[in-house]
This record gives sequence, C-alpha cells and structure tokens, in this order.
Amino acid sequence: MKLKFLSNHKAASKPETVTASSRPLESSMDANVAEIKRRIGNSADVVFRSLSNPASGSPSLTFIYIDGLINADLVTQAVIQPLTDSQDLQEQGMENEKALLLIKEQILPVGGIKECKTVEILLSMLFEGNTIILLDGANTALAANTSGWETRSINEPTSQGVIRGPKEGFTESLRTGTSMLRRRLKNADLRVEEYKIGRRTQTGIALVYLYGIANEQVLAEIRKRLDAIDTDSILESNYIEELIEDGGMTPFPTILNTERPDAMAGGILEGQVGIIIDGTPFALLAPATFFSFFQSSEDYYQRYDISSFLRIIRFTAFFVSLLLPALYIAITTFHQEMLPTTLLISLASQREGIPFPALIEALIMELTFDVLREAGVRMPRAIGPAISIVGALVLGQAAVQAGLVSAAMVIVVSFTAISNFVIPSLAIANSIRLIRFLMMLIAGTMGLFGIMSFLMVLLIHMAGLQSFGIPYLSPVAPMKPRYLKDIILRMPMWKMKIRPSTYGSQEAPRQNLPAKEQQVSAKQSGPQGSENS
Amino acid sequence: MSEKKRIRRKIHHKGRSFLLVLSLLSLLVGGCWDDRELNELGIVSGSAYDWEDDQWKATYQVINPSSGSSSMGGSGGGSTSSPPFLTYTVKGSTIIQAVERTNLTSTRELFFSHSRVTVIGESLAKQGISQLVDLFLRRPDARETVYVFITEGEAGRILDQLMQLTKNQGAGIQLMIEQEAKLTSYFPGIQMYELAMQMTSDSGSTTVPEIKLTGNRVMDRTDDTAQTDLPSRIAFGRLGVLKEDRFVGWLSQREAFGLSFMTDKIKAANISFPSIPEKSDRDDASVTLLHSSTSVHPIWENDHYVMDIDIKAGAILTEIGSELDLEKASSMRQMERSIENNILEIIDNSWHAVKKLNADVTGFAVSIHRNHPKQWKRIKQEGSWDTVFQKVEIRPHVKVKIERIGLSGRSYKSLELK
Repeated sequence: MKLKFLSNHKAASKPETVTASSRPLESSMDANVAEIKRRIGNSADVVFRSLSNPASGSPSLTFIYIDGLINADLVTQAVIQPLTDSQDLQEQGMENEKALLLIKEQILPVGGIKECKTVEILLSMLFEGNTIILLDGANTALAANTSGWETRSINEPTSQGVIRGPKEGFTESLRTGTSMLRRRLKNADLRVEEYKIGRRTQTGIALVYLYGIANEQVLAEIRKRLDAIDTDSILESNYIEELIEDGGMTPFPTILNTERPDAMAGGILEGQVGIIIDGTPFALLAPATFFSFFQSSEDYYQRYDISSFLRIIRFTAFFVSLLLPALYIAITTFHQEMLPTTLLISLASQREGIPFPALIEALIMELTFDVLREAGVRMPRAIGPAISIVGALVLGQAAVQAGLVSAAMVIVVSFTAISNFVIPSLAIANSIRLIRFLMMLIAGTMGLFGIMSFLMVLLIHMAGLQSFGIPYLSPVAPMKPRYLKDIILRMPMWKMKIRPSTYGSQEAPRQNLPAKEQQVSAKQSGPQGSENS
Repeated sequence: MSEKKRIRRKIHHKGRSFLLVLSLLSLLVGGCWDDRELNELGIVSGSAYDWEDDQWKATYQVINPSSGSSSMGGSGGGSTSSPPFLTYTVKGSTIIQAVERTNLTSTRELFFSHSRVTVIGESLAKQGISQLVDLFLRRPDARETVYVFITEGEAGRILDQLMQLTKNQGAGIQLMIEQEAKLTSYFPGIQMYELAMQMTSDSGSTTVPEIKLTGNRVMDRTDDTAQTDLPSRIAFGRLGVLKEDRFVGWLSQREAFGLSFMTDKIKAANISFPSIPEKSDRDDASVTLLHSSTSVHPIWENDHYVMDIDIKAGAILTEIGSELDLEKASSMRQMERSIENNILEIIDNSWHAVKKLNADVTGFAVSIHRNHPKQWKRIKQEGSWDTVFQKVEIRPHVKVKIERIGLSGRSYKSLELK
C-alpha cells in the first residue's frame, strides 16, 4: 500500500536552545555537587545526603534525590543501607573507579542502575526519580532507579463509560498505561517505543503498536512527526495531537483520543498506533477515519443486532445534531409548503408574537445552551443541580411563556443538544457543534439550497482529508465493500472473518473457521452440552 | 530559484483561496430575498371566485393562527372568541389584481401553497373558468391539487361558513369530499389538475360537485357554532356539468351516481333495493358494494355508436327487511338480479340526463378515440361529435355478486314469523 502524506508545516519551527552544551562530570565530588547546586538552585525538594567517614577508609559519597519522586523505603533499604553496611567497601581502600564498579555490580540491590557522565544526563536522571550516587574521585555518577510517587488509582473512565465491558481507564501514569496494554495483548509483537518530548517538561511518550500489523509507513510518518516536535512543553495529549495531525485547517479531528485501554487494544489490533502520554489519561490512536469516531468499544460487548441498531441511532443523531436547527430555520422561513398544513398552523400559532426571526431565535437558544453546558462543566459540583433548574425552568419554560422564543424552537434545540451526546467521541461531537452554527447561518440566508450546497462542500472537504496517509472517509470513499462490515452496521463476529486493512495494515484472517463449519459445530455441541447439564 | 518558486506557489495558493472565498460569498448574494417568517404569512386555506359587474370577485380564507394551535378543536371549536379564519373579498379586472388588492387590507402576505379548496360561483362558471385554471397551472405557489367545487349563487358565502369539529374549513371540506368519494361514491371529488385534464381531453366536459349551505343563514360568528344542531351546514348537493369551460347544467345525486358507474368511479357504495321484487316495489334491503369495475367498449352499429358497458361488482348484504331465506341459492340470485336491475335503472336515468345536457361527461369520446382512432379522426375533422354523441346508445350489463351476507345467516323477520 502506497501512502501519500500531506506536508506538515507545524513541527518545523527552529529549535531554541535552552541548556548549555553538555558538561562532563569532574573527578572532585565537591565540584560536582557545587555545579549541580548551581544548576538547580536551592530547590527545597532536592535532598543532598553525604556519607563521609575518613576513618573507615571508605570513599566519601553523596546521594542526591528529589523528595516525593522516590520511594523513601527503597532508597534507605536498597541504596543507603547496603552502602553503609558494605564490608568490602570499607575494608579496601581501593581506587575510586574500582569502587564505583563494585557498587554498581555488587552492592546495590536495585533494578536499574545507569552511569552518568555529564551533568545534563545526571540531572535528567534525577528528575525521573533516580537516586544519584556521587563518588569522590570518580568522574562518573551512578543513578539508581528508586522512583516512586503518588499516583491516582485506576478508575472507571469518566468520559467514555459503558454498561457492559471493562471498567478500568488509563491513569496519568505512562507506565500504568503501557502495562494495561501489555495485559491485554500478551504478544511478543507488541512494541513500546518511548520518547521524551518537551524541552522543559521532558514528557514521556510511548508509541504502542503491534509489529507486523501496524503499517510501517504510517509508523515511520508518526515517528518522523514526533521527532520533529520541538516545543517547550507537553502537558496533555492534545499538545501532541495538534502538533502531529494532518492538514490542520479542518473542524474534523483526524486523531482519535480514548480513555479506555480496551478501545486502544482494539485499535492496535486493527493496525492503529497508540500514543500514550505521561500525565494524562487520554491516549491517542492514529490513524483515525471518520467512521472510527462512531465506533464505541461497547459495540463489541453487545450482540450484533443491538450494536447495529445503536450504530444507526448514532449516525441519525449525528445528522440530527448537524442539521435539525438548520432544517427548522430553512423550512419555516423559506419552504413553508413542505410542512403538513396542521403542523404549519401549529408552528405559526406558536410564532405569533415572537419578536425575533427564526434564525436569530435559533442562534439565541443555541448559544444559551452552549453557555449552560460550559457552565455545567465549570460549576462546582455542589451547585450543579442549581444550574439544571435555572436552565430547564428559567430559560426553557419561562422564555416560552414570556413569548421570547417559541416552544417548537426549545424542542428543536434540546433535541439537537441531546443528540450531540449520543456520538461516542467528544472530539467529533464538538466539531459538529461548531459546524452547526455555520449551517444555521446558511440555512437562514439560503434555505434548503444553502444546506445542500454546504453539505456538498463538507463532503468534498472530508473526502480530501487524510489521517497519516489514510483517506478520512475510508472504507466508504475510496469504497472497499469488503471492509464495510463494521461501519454502518456491526456484523456478527463470525461474519467479520478478515481484519480490514482500513488503517494500512496487511489484510489477514481473524478467524480460521469458516462461518458454516462454526455453526455446524455449535449445533453438534449444543445438545450434548444440555445433556451434560 | 526554489525560493522564487515557493513564493509563486504561495501567491498561487492565495489566489485560489481568494477565488474560493469569493465564489462562496457570491452564494450569499442570493441572500434572503424570499424569506418569510411564519408570522408574516397569511396561510390561505381556501379561495372562492365569482363574476360580478364584469369583474373577478375573489374571496380568500386566511387561517388565523392565534385562535388555537390545533386545527382540530376537540371542544367543538366554539371555545375561543377569535374566529379560526378570516375572509377577504376583493374585486379586480384580473385575478392577480384581486390578490394584489388584498395586500391593501391585510397585514399578511397571502400564501397559497396550503390552499385546499376552490369554490367557483355559478356566475363565473357560466362565464368560463379557463383563466382561473391557467392561473393555477402557472403560479408556483398555487397548488393544482386543490379540490374544485361549484355553488349556486355567491361562492364567497361558502368560505364564511364556520364548521364544527374542524376549525380549518378548507381542510374540513377536503376531508368531507374524500370521505364521500371513499364511502358513497356519488361523485368523486375533482382536483384542479384533473379538471384541467378533462377539459382538454377529447370529451371536453367535466363534472364538478356542488357545495352549498343547507340553511339560509351563514354561520360566520364563533358563537354560532356553540350549538349541537347547526341550522345551516356545509353540504354537497348535485353535480355541476361543465362543457368546454362553461357551466351547462346540473345532474342530481342519483344521476351522478349512475355516472359514477359508467365512468368506473365507484369505490364503495350503498345500494338499496326491493328484496322480493315480485311482492313489492319498496326498497327493503341494502348492500354495500365492496368493489366494482366498469369497462366500456364502443361498437359501431350501422349509423351510430353503441357503448357496451360492462359492470362487475361484489357486495356485502348489510340490511334486509323481508323474510327471504338467505340460505337458498335461488333467493341470493333473486336479490342479485334485483340489485342489477336497480343499477341498470340508475344508469339509464343518468344517461338520459347526460344526453339532455349534451355534455360528454362519460368520457365516451376518449374511449372511441382509443378503440376506433380512424373514425375518431373523421369525427374530429367534421367537428360532429355533438351530433354523434346524441345518437350514442348505451348497452349496460351489470353483474353483481353478493359475496357475504354478514354475521346473521337468516333475516330477522323470518325468525319472527316462526
């Protein structure tokens, strides 16, 4: 499969150097400590602990660690205690280099020990929670992995809940994230590549994919774009998303975000590449097609008929959310002949005495709802119920009774708002929210003709979008009928026998049993099973 | 070099997006020139046209939305003080001039797309209605699906009349005619496009149902409808016959019924007949026709056409007042014969009336054109259809089968006698 990539201008900004060129450690411990102190200032959370006992003949040592980033028990038991207790170190008044080797190879019972030769490496190890051991007379420092800090426990995802299915979500910890994937994909092909991005934040980023399934070209492109990022901070996955996504001038998201490890595992199995970012429970999945935003992981945890029905509901809700206010405006101001007479009279009677044109009325109500919604997010939890009362009663009922807006408009706006929440991905729901306003303006000026033209423009735009070389509307445009089994409808598991190459992966069988044999074997085992019970 | 190229491409790119924005903005020029808010519209539910002093007199019935949101008033429609619709009567030398003049008195722009009925006064019908038909076919917002009615006297009066149960009078009349055509088949309602088609067909004649008020007074005040038995209601009466575009006369309901048989317009109909014709001539039984089909074949016999009319119908017995034994096949046949004779009589009656009006509302011309195209060409050239039509003889054959006799196998009277 040949992929074409849209050029990415954003990541190519000129690098701005923050740190001075690397400086090697000196052999004098005091000089090193002084240099480190100069670099990090008098930060209260950095602990310097020196061990010097000239009488015993053991070399003087300094431990440096950052309080809160280390596991205090581990530091005492696995670093300080062995070093102070070590007979070898005390007896032999050995050379410093040899002592360093001894400490590294024999004395410290810690999993990861690394050598640092420059101040910069030393500092970066320090900030990751290592305990630095400086030995007097050696121009190499040791970094023992003693990291351990407070993390949030694994909780149910708050933004992507399901009724049936795993209830655990990613946490802010990168390692927890990768471990959750490992637990789901116990496979040697699962690869985790780590990056550190952000000059000041040094945020850990893990690229997770299945070797052999994820498309190499897509992978190379993602790596290239990640490498090209030169920014001072990455605090959330959206930083990465915006910096590496295609195009940019589009309201549609081209990278999926998820809080659910099972959703990510599913995506990885189909050839998507996961990007987990330290410090946020929202991980990214790329490439993403338009239809992937309508697939919920729950689709696969329920029987196919229910799932297919829910899919249809979702697509309907998508169109309702996009078009309903616009259609209402267009039909009531331009195409009154399209309504049944009774409905028209009913609408007309509601509009008697409304001071605004339908377009303004709709804009006011939509804006009101968006204000309410934003307030609902920001509002302290204790005042939460108050806003729903204000929203429902004051703005809904009272506005209608006061004759400011028509009852039909309130119905239209509320149904639109509710429909918007049916779409599983908040990213695309939000983009529709924006497009809806444009749609309403066009409907108010050009009626149904405008709506149709704008839909055409949208469709052309979407057909031109790409996500890491994958056409945004695939597998519908370009049409691949074989891959349509999981798009509008969700076919039964035994029908989805091949893994689609929608995301650029090699097409491969998922199941080896043909559907008919499966059914036959199920029939044969059926009665036997009931006999046993 | 490459720098130059890049700059050129950039300019090119900018030019393209500029053009795109320009073309998108040009769409807005179309703008909202024809937008109308719902509260600026006068929704016309019916119109009526008369001819007075050599001028068009048009009456428009405009729905008053504030009289209640639902047009089907469950409470009888008398609860609100403001009338469910208003009427405007205006005169003009053309119809459009009349429409235009309503704008001088009305706060709202008339909106014809939801118009359901058009009533034509006899005065106008005698004058000719082709200009009106043309208007309906020409104007984009006028619907050709409006039902057309004709009335004796002034048409505008009909639109003033309030209806019970239905607030929207135009829609109410439409419901009435649809029910009538479905349940009794005396006359099918005719819509504007059907009227236009029939008037231009070979027959050149058409029928329009009469609409009238049963009383003398027009119930045009909202408190008038607050009574159970209105002294004056809207009702359908006879069938008006138009030849070319002019009114030529009336057919009674019975004659119209016969015409429905001849033109295959029967959907369901009730027929009363004497169950034992030898005993008494009084109608004492009824059937409902469940289905009926008519086929017409013209035959040239010596010097005139004979129309072979074949009617086949199936019926269900709905009522019987005699002691006839329904279990006997012979008595069923006897009843069927009686029904057939009844229908034949109705058709014969109707045919005489049609012949008298000399208007080919039966559509025989179309049938002859189809079956004998050469002769028709000659008739057309000679322009002699009217004389040929006068000589036409009909030969109706009716076959009725009583398919069901209802829930009771014997007549109640026969039980009584035992």
